[in-house]
Amino acid sequence: MPSLKVKLGLLELESPLLTASGTFGFGEEYAPLMAMEGLGALITKTITLEPRLGNPSPRMVETPAGMLNAIGLQNPGLENFIKIELPRLHSWTVPLIVSIAGETEEEYVTLARALEGQSGIAALELNLSCPNVKKGGILFGMDAALLESLVGMVRAAWSGPLIAKLTPNVTAIEELARAAARGGAQIISAINTLRGMVIDITARRPLLGNLAGGLSGPAIRPVAVKMVYDIYAATSMPVIGVGGIMNTDDALQFVLAGAAAVAVGTANFVEPRTIPRIAAGLREYLAENGLHSLQELVGAAHNSGQRTEDS
Amino acid sequence: MKQCSAQVRELEEVREGFYYLALEEPYLAATALPGQFLHLRVTTTFDPLLRRPFSVAGTSPQTGIVRLFFRRLGTGTKLLSCLRRGDPLDCLGPLGSPFMPAGKSPAVLLAGGTGIAPLLFLAEKLGGTGDEVYLFYGAATAASLLPVERFLPSGPRLFYVTADGSAGETGLLTDAFRRALEKGLVPGELFACGPRPFLAILAEENRRWGYPLQVSLEENMACGLGACQGCAVLLQKDGKRTYARVCREGPVFCDAEVVW
Ligand SMILES: Cc1cc2nc3c(=O)[nH]c(=O)nc-3n(C[C@H](O)[C@H](O)[C@H](O)COP(=O)(O)OP(=O)(O)OC[C@H]3O[C@@H](n4cnc5c(N)ncnc54)[C@H](O)[C@@H]3O)c2cc1C
Ligand SMILES: Cc1cc2nc3c(=O)[nH]c(=O)nc-3n(C[C@H](O)[C@H](O)[C@H](O)COP(=O)(O)O)c2cc1C
Ligand code: FES
Repeated sequence: MPSLKVKLGLLELESPLLTASGTFGFGEEYAPLMAMEGLGALITKTITLEPRLGNPSPRMVETPAGMLNAIGLQNPGLENFIKIELPRLHSWTVPLIVSIAGETEEEYVTLARALEGQSGIAALELNLSCPNVKKGGILFGMDAALLESLVGMVRAAWSGPLIAKLTPNVTAIEELARAAARGGAQIISAINTLRGMVIDITARRPLLGNLAGGLSGPAIRPVAVKMVYDIYAATSMPVIGVGGIMNTDDALQFVLAGAAAVAVGTANFVEPRTIPRIAAGLREYLAENGLHSLQELVGAAHNSGQRTEDS
Repeated sequence: MKQCSAQVRELEEVREGFYYLALEEPYLAATALPGQFLHLRVTTTFDPLLRRPFSVAGTSPQTGIVRLFFRRLGTGTKLLSCLRRGDPLDCLGPLGSPFMPAGKSPAVLLAGGTGIAPLLFLAEKLGGTGDEVYLFYGAATAASLLPVERFLPSGPRLFYVTADGSAGETGLLTDAFRRALEKGLVPGELFACGPRPFLAILAEENRRWGYPLQVSLEENMACGLGACQGCAVLLQKDGKRTYARVCREGPVFCDAEVVW
């Protein structure tokens, strides 16, 4: 049988299919619905140092081929995560990737150091779509120097595989990917949600409680594919592609663009069995095309010899 | 809770834009409780993208039937209204936390608009006679009132209320209920479902009345399972504010814990 195994630097996974942060909680809710078949690793909801209440409602609304959300990183905080969620998460037999975020560099470092002391965490993912309160609220992921220094500080506190999850709300994402590499990240995750807004025309105000939100789902897929393509061309780091993956064909687009693995987000809400289905679909595709491993296809779309022109 | 493929047994437009949908799915019929809902995949494509939540309005465990009522509003409910007998329908359910009757008689059920759905189921489960269960059911006009007697042959004493007086009492549901209280009705406990403003007025009034009141709330939903935190509603518990998930801790809440 063709292999779905993948090595993302030091992170070895049985399957390239991951759960995108924030769309699978801490796994508990999906456990009764989903066999673990085909799941390569579970990426948790982003946790922060202190518990976070989250944003006022409404927190989400459907948009054409997507959804806009402003959850506000509601999470139980580091201490409760370690005490309550982490032991429960160990019942999943797949590797566990913990997503963290902070409002200052120190918060990220404290989180990383505390998690370094815990067993059973395969990797950390840095959610870089978080405002830096000391720098007037600019996202860590928007400024190359800020990002590089943050990743470097976390690197010193966490010895395992480190994933930098990039925000697409930047001019040239490959610059941020390079900065993450310089800081010491070994894996890039791209992309987080795109900023957006829906206006309630009856109330004549933004619909979400937080006013603006993050767009996800099929609507953002072409944006995400292009960004993965650009990151692949600019760096030698393995990439986890994220953004609107609903089925096998979508996952293949990301792989061909340069993703060694992919994460499924919004699709979990629509069809909880998306990941096992894509796993089966990928195996079938490989068998039909006489390939032994999905890794043979990573970045294959770059072989056309043509360069992209910005239009 | 499971993901199931239910089969459409019956679909009828009982009032203009209001539909009755009977699904056959033995597991759901055997396990769903009043207040719980199903999260339906209304299409096999991704347009619209997300599932749509609907309260269970009744079950017949012997025949494996689950009943829903829905109002045609947008794309999702339009697609549902085009289903045919025998069509499969992908459901997640039963989801959410049900009403918890304490058995205090009489139970008074207050339904505004499509809020009738979970309360029909509750009335059915409470059983009892007209002295034990009262159902106040309000809508804008007679044309949008569902014929409750047809789906609930015996049981509660029924009070229809319409804003324009085209059926039953005239005015707001809360006004009709207040009048009943003035005439001597002494509820044991209250259950309500309907538009948020109606529930907010009821909860406000109930601060004086002090009856045990459970309300079923709505919020936009993505996962329906408790994973995304998208359906949050602000609660106040022991002086502390927290968000609860309408799809998990809810949709049924105690009136006093909701920050209206
Ligand atoms: C727990 C729960 C139980 C529910 N039970 C029922 C039920 O038993 N019967 C029923 O008919 N509906 C019920 N609803 C509401 C139902 O889910 C929505 O009406 C439905 O999702 C609308 O989908 P749509 O694609 O047709 O409309 P959309 O295209 O999503 O929306 C069309 C229009 O309807 C408005 N709209 C959307 N949702 C609502 C809403 N909840 N209330 C008022 N206006 C809305 C939108 O603002 C928009 O203007 C329930 C909702 C929840 C959260
Ligand atoms: C409801 C919701 C919550 C999310 N929460 C987080 C989060 O806590 N941390 C994070 O890094 N990304 C979060 N994301 C972004 C997703 O992980 C993913 O990057 C994005 O949704 C694009 O993928 P998709 O189109 O497959 O959903 C969230 C997305 C959604 C829809
Ligand atoms: S809809 Fe996702 S948590 Fe309620």
